[in-house]
Amino acid sequence: MPIDEQIVLAGADEHDLTKLAGYREAGGYAQLEKARAMEPQQVIQELLDSNLRGRGGAFFAAGRKASFIPREPARPVYLTVNADESEPGTFKDREIMLRVPHRLIEGCLVVAHAISSKHVFIYIRGEYLTEFEILREALQEARRADLLGGVTIVLHRGAGAYICGEETGLLESLEGKRGQPRSKPPFPAISGLYASPTLINNVETIATVPKVLEIGAAEYAKIGPPDSTGTRVFSLSGNVVRGGNYELENGTTLRELIYDVGGGIPDGRELKAIIPGGSSTPVLTAADVDTPLDYDALAKAGTMFGSGAIIAIDDRCCMVQLGLRVAQFYMHESCGKCTPCRVGTRWMVQILHKIEDGSAAQADLGLLLDVCDRILGKCLCPLGDAAAMPVASYVNKFRDEFRAHIEHGGCPFGGESSLDHVFAPVDQHALTPVPQEVPA
Amino acid sequence: MTLQQEIQKVKKQYPETRSAILPALRLAQERYGWLSREALEEVGAALDLTPAYCMSVASFYDMFHLEPVGRHLVEVCTNISCALVGAQQTLEAFERELGVHPGETTADGEVTLRTIECAGGCGWGPVVAVDHRYREPVRPDGVAAIVEELRRAD
Amino acid sequence: MSAGETVRVTIDDTDVHVRKGTGLVETALAAGIEIPVFCYEPRLGAPIGACRMCLVEIEGMPKLQAGCTLTAQDGMVVRTARTSAKAAEGQDATLEFILVNHPLDCPVCDKGGECPLQDLTFRYGPGNTRMSFEKLTLEKPIPISPTISLDRERCILCYRCTRFSETVSEDGQLVARNRGAMSVITTFEDEPYRGAFTGNVTELCPVGALLPTQYRFQARPWEIVNTPTVCGMCPVGCNVHATVREGRVKRILSRNHPEVDEGWLCDKGRFAFTHLRAADRIVDPIKRVRRRGFEPVGWDEALDEAERLLRAAHGRVVVALSGSETVEQAYALAKLLRRGLGSHQAMLPEEVTDALDAYRLPLSAIGDAQVVVVLGDVPVHERAPVVDLWIRAARRKGAKVLSRLDRKAVREAERVVLIWSGPGGRGGASVAELAEQLGLAGKAGCGAFHLPATPNGRGISDAWAAASDEEEAEAGSIGLLLVSGDEAAENPDVRALAERAESVVVVSMFHGLAAGWANLVLPGTSYLERDGTYVNLEGRLQRLRRAATPPAPEELEWLSRLAARFGVEVAPYASAVFEEVSARCYGGLTFGEVGERAPLRGYPAAPEQVERAPVPEPAEATTGEGLRLVAYKPLFSGPAVERVPELQFQRPQRELELAPADAKGLGIRNGDAVVAAAAQNGTSVRLRARLSNDVRPGVARVAEEHAAGLRGRVIVTPATPAEATAQ
Repeated sequence: MPIDEQIVLAGADEHDLTKLAGYREAGGYAQLEKARAMEPQQVIQELLDSNLRGRGGAFFAAGRKASFIPREPARPVYLTVNADESEPGTFKDREIMLRVPHRLIEGCLVVAHAISSKHVFIYIRGEYLTEFEILREALQEARRADLLGGVTIVLHRGAGAYICGEETGLLESLEGKRGQPRSKPPFPAISGLYASPTLINNVETIATVPKVLEIGAAEYAKIGPPDSTGTRVFSLSGNVVRGGNYELENGTTLRELIYDVGGGIPDGRELKAIIPGGSSTPVLTAADVDTPLDYDALAKAGTMFGSGAIIAIDDRCCMVQLGLRVAQFYMHESCGKCTPCRVGTRWMVQILHKIEDGSAAQADLGLLLDVCDRILGKCLCPLGDAAAMPVASYVNKFRDEFRAHIEHGGCPFGGESSLDHVFAPVDQHALTPVPQEVPA
Repeated sequence: MTLQQEIQKVKKQYPETRSAILPALRLAQERYGWLSREALEEVGAALDLTPAYCMSVASFYDMFHLEPVGRHLVEVCTNISCALVGAQQTLEAFERELGVHPGETTADGEVTLRTIECAGGCGWGPVVAVDHRYREPVRPDGVAAIVEELRRAD
Repeated sequence: MSAGETVRVTIDDTDVHVRKGTGLVETALAAGIEIPVFCYEPRLGAPIGACRMCLVEIEGMPKLQAGCTLTAQDGMVVRTARTSAKAAEGQDATLEFILVNHPLDCPVCDKGGECPLQDLTFRYGPGNTRMSFEKLTLEKPIPISPTISLDRERCILCYRCTRFSETVSEDGQLVARNRGAMSVITTFEDEPYRGAFTGNVTELCPVGALLPTQYRFQARPWEIVNTPTVCGMCPVGCNVHATVREGRVKRILSRNHPEVDEGWLCDKGRFAFTHLRAADRIVDPIKRVRRRGFEPVGWDEALDEAERLLRAAHGRVVVALSGSETVEQAYALAKLLRRGLGSHQAMLPEEVTDALDAYRLPLSAIGDAQVVVVLGDVPVHERAPVVDLWIRAARRKGAKVLSRLDRKAVREAERVVLIWSGPGGRGGASVAELAEQLGLAGKAGCGAFHLPATPNGRGISDAWAAASDEEEAEAGSIGLLLVSGDEAAENPDVRALAERAESVVVVSMFHGLAAGWANLVLPGTSYLERDGTYVNLEGRLQRLRRAATPPAPEELEWLSRLAARFGVEVAPYASAVFEEVSARCYGGLTFGEVGERAPLRGYPAAPEQVERAPVPEPAEATTGEGLRLVAYKPLFSGPAVERVPELQFQRPQRELELAPADAKGLGIRNGDAVVAAAAQNGTSVRLRARLSNDVRPGVARVAEEHAAGLRGRVIVTPATPAEATAQ
């Protein structure tokens, strides 16, 4: 059930928390003061006790991650905040930056203290211009109010590359390179930004930290299921009446989110499929609508919590076209460094096109699954998996629909699908002058 | 301030010069509209990097233009959340109003139309970024007004 | 845990003991097991794990791992494709993906037959393709420079070439453009890939994407022979393979000597070999005949004429040596002149000292140094290119690279290397004195190098000294000037000497250098056409092996015949001649013992070096008006380079390099047109200014060929608009 109190977005409905005065009024920056009076290790212990897990997508325990940072490092320690939100369907970090920028800044300063870092970089996706301006304004206020305490916070804008949301891609980009992920090990905690110990956390994770201190780790841990404590700002989109961000207790079911909070499926259509954690997660069917939004339950249902972005899909959507559009996205965003992802995503797009336009044979379906399988687990970073997993799940869960395309020599929706002939950015490739794709 | 001076200023934020390349490229693009050969050479000179390196980095990121673009940029998100709620129809409305296909610029050099991947406005789609400011949602019937607004802005 | 600790790793059920931290690819190799790779290349820095060819299964890790990115840890259990179905499937998948867009045009690909992609596909790959779509088709081949062509369809994006450009040569010119499937390798706009080391990318490329244009459609691997020899283009003496087909050199490849070149070559060493087939190559002796001018003659007649001219000189013979002769050629010549004719006057190519012998190190020691002091005003890569790569490697590992002596830094460091990069330096005496002052003698990892101007100056000096103990006696007049080799023939000082000589004999490869001023011209040969030895700048004695048959007899052959006419016995074979020299200079080492990857030996039995009047430091005023002009001989210059059309783009621009501080003071910006005028007489030249951090303040640097004869101090001013446009 939705909880009464919000954590990350707490107070934002009642007050203008974008201004320092408003944030202070709502008790802002008190936790910073409290944290600074604590030993860094105590702050990390609070995080460990709260069982707060990373909100970027991997759901790794935030306290453990922070504890990997060496206590007496030979080089400066960096805190890097991942605000490069780009997973399709996800727009929660944007909401946090727009509405509670000071909570993010307070969280940065608390976590910086916990890992004894004096340098914070917030890597914000380049398209988020308004969000950047608001955050910059808030940062100015915090700086003028002498809240930084010797810590520098630099807002670094990305420039349009999904892969920079991957933590090592982000570090490469921040170092002024092409944002191609690094091979791990070494892990960022040992050798990250400028080969120095670096902690990388998602915006929502960081913005949760002040509240964890405020209510105490023990209290926080009581919210939600034991392995998915706390709340999440869920991004709801697709075929729903009221799309938007909703901060709810983890463990809320998909039904509650889509129907009770989101107002259900519009235009009298039927729910057909649900993407539960951003476009990279395997799809669920309407039959799975009672699955709770928590890590274990979603894993049991064969999918992932991911970025907490729920996309509701109604019965007008052709699943082959969905697969094609998802594959096109990952092809567009593949950094090009490792072979399976660079080549495999393009091959997936080609096969899906063929199935979609009705010229495929049954064997092509097996080939598609095999290509997915050959990408899975073999890439340098998670992007390849992020393309292969959902597409394979569409085939597996909607195999009849894929077969129908092949058997009927075309899309059974007959041009009426909601995703019919959607023009994807990769379709613009042919128009870019370099490299010249020589016409056949 | 010259571009060089602007870049020198932004450079100070970073422990290592090279980190300033994204802001520097952005400054150059804001100044010249796109990253021409000369712009890349200028950025390279300011950061002690080769122009080839600057080009290589710029070409990795969708927001940098290595070809001339129009004075205005209309970007329609066609990723799944927006597409499920009619992004393609919105895109087609722009194509009709502007008389260009995605990836193209109007003959008068005013407006470049292109599609983009998820802009992070999924709950309020279809999202259209007009000169980097999001309009959420833009339905086909709202397109003419946007195009009119752009034409008037000049 | 100590760094040198040995760990046990189990690979495919075989235990192997290696040092902790050894790369897994090398660890497997120690067990006799191959982990196949494309992108992995330890010389390019940290592994990147991009190609995914090296996928292996590691016990305790759920996913396949990129073996190239891992290092040996105690107790590690590894399964490669040989024993792991999962790893085999992974490698099969990687190859299937790699081949999806590869054109499979092996029959017409120059790489075919010596291509890692072919080999690994044969061993690990799928036998057929399931790719039924149109492959990514791209414009090709693209000449990224006149010497290198790029086939983007064949490219598998392993990023070896771009990593070389970024982290080895550090030129930052070859880069990847775009993202994902649309990524391509490219240079900036339509600029050619320019620089001293570009050709290395053609050897790094594991497929047929980057290929030398000179080798395009020239040979198939089963038709060629690779002759191991040593480059004769500069004093480094990089180890090379000369690829030969039907007696013709078709390309030069590196032959990694880890102490000398680490497998890198400069573009001059790699691409200048086509000078062997220059249009003006001399193949027959040429004799000056009164009234009829010059005419080709047979060898008997040529040797008659040579004998006649030598006898007519009555011992007043001066020989001008090039520095590119082998030790054996120089010795044969010296023996003929000194023992047969009693002529002891030689113009050696450059000053040589044995003072540096106490500070000898392999070049690789530069890479391990903590402080590298580079003295002299000529860029290292213009003089001894690969040395520049060693210096860059040192800097990347954290060494301080100083352009002026910082005694404090030297004191604080354990491993210090001094490098003198001309001009001057008294053949190494200056830097040896400095090394002595700094107490570097006998300190491990410390040493000093002098970068000579010629490939075998030291060896020639040895050979000259070995031939006779007689002192040189200055003769008043020159009966005969014997000019040995192209560099000597090109030298203005030698030309001036010729004016004073009663007769001139020139040994040269090219008509362009020999025509017009000699009574007799004898065809010369190239280092690629000779057997013999060279001594490089480290003092390392190395073997040259004849790769190509010269169009005329090699020098030793006719020297032997000519010497016989004067009662001097000279063997026509390098091995025999070497052993004669070796008995006096190289501790009796036999020819066969020199070795294919020669070690850096000391030669305790070496005789005293030939005494040469020390050349004074250039008498240029170090103070005064304007800037001190340094006119250097560029890497891409000289008789060989001039005869290779595809290297012309590498020749230096008409630029005057200035220190940024000086330029600022003069109101000159990068790229401005400037006028440099001699302080003494006002002769001037218009050039483009280039601001360069490696130019010392107070110095203006220009390639010799653009100096217009200017010397000494110059006044540099911005060109007036009229002057600028006149350019």
